[in-house]
Amino acid sequence: MEKIDDKYDFSLYEYHNLLQQNILVSYKGPIDERIMNVIGENIELVTNDGNDKAKSKIFKIFMELAQNVWLYSAESLSTASGRKLGMGTLVIGEFGDAYTFVTGNVVRNTDIEPVIEKCEIINSLDRDSLREYRREQRRLAGTKKNSGNIGLIQVALTAESPLDIELTPVSDEESFFSIAVKIKKTGR
Amino acid sequence: MEDIHISGFKDEYMQPTVDFVEATGECCISGESFMEETGVFYSPLVEWVKAYAKRHQKIDFAFSLTYYNTSTSKWLLAILKELREMEKAGGQVAVTWHYTPDDTDMRDDIMDYMVDTGLKIDLVPFSE
Repeated sequence: MEKIDDKYDFSLYEYHNLLQQNILVSYKGPIDERIMNVIGENIELVTNDGNDKAKSKIFKIFMELAQNVWLYSAESLSTASGRKLGMGTLVIGEFGDAYTFVTGNVVRNTDIEPVIEKCEIINSLDRDSLREYRREQRRLAGTKKNSGNIGLIQVALTAESPLDIELTPVSDEESFFSIAVKIKKTGR
Repeated sequence: MEDIHISGFKDEYMQPTVDFVEATGECCISGESFMEETGVFYSPLVEWVKAYAKRHQKIDFAFSLTYYNTSTSKWLLAILKELREMEKAGGQVAVTWHYTPDDTDMRDDIMDYMVDTGLKIDLVPFSE
């Protein structure tokens, strides 16, 4: 049988092996409600070691962070009907007594600065102050559409862990932005 | 004004079931909430409560949501604010919120709604 020369510029076997280590679910590509629905349902299946509470926490965190990638990624596809689907990567991992949920996507440097500032504020607050911050932001937001920042506060409250953020420059204008959170298998 | 009856579904999006009955003042939002255009769904509900408050003195409002995203949470606050306005104007407002007993995150959120609005909300755990 003829081989396809330019099939991949990386080894799929190595890629598979890399994902074998502690990774329960990984996805890279465009995100919309259908993808969210499929992965959301799979979370229930792959998180068997966690209690119901941990499962529900991962689901809630996934819903907020995946939607942020969908809406705010600088890399996107447009469907025939004109919908914009943000592209990004989602990974659910399992490390000892905790799950980790990581999302990453390309962002414009100018857009991401305020988000990083928000994350730093979130990480500096204890639980009570974080709840107060959520109340304040929700009050300020009213019923306006953009609620990405309240989503991040919600993620930190649900995970009961800081937002582990990383920014890697990919060009003068853009960077790869990732947020990782840890969720204990036997939560509060 | 017309009663509101909306059947919920859980598919790619999740739409809650809504029953607002003018004659009895019994209103309920139940199920799960995650949708593309949260405002399109919720703003008529806020308007209904506002209009109801102008004609009536008594309302019995129940939330019975097992999941709602943060975008929904802003609209729940908008509804609660209208209920608080009705109470301030002398109305008899009863708000009940059913929640999953071990969902302490949601319980915290409901407590925060009470702080935000000044409304008393009866927290009732779902019976297993």
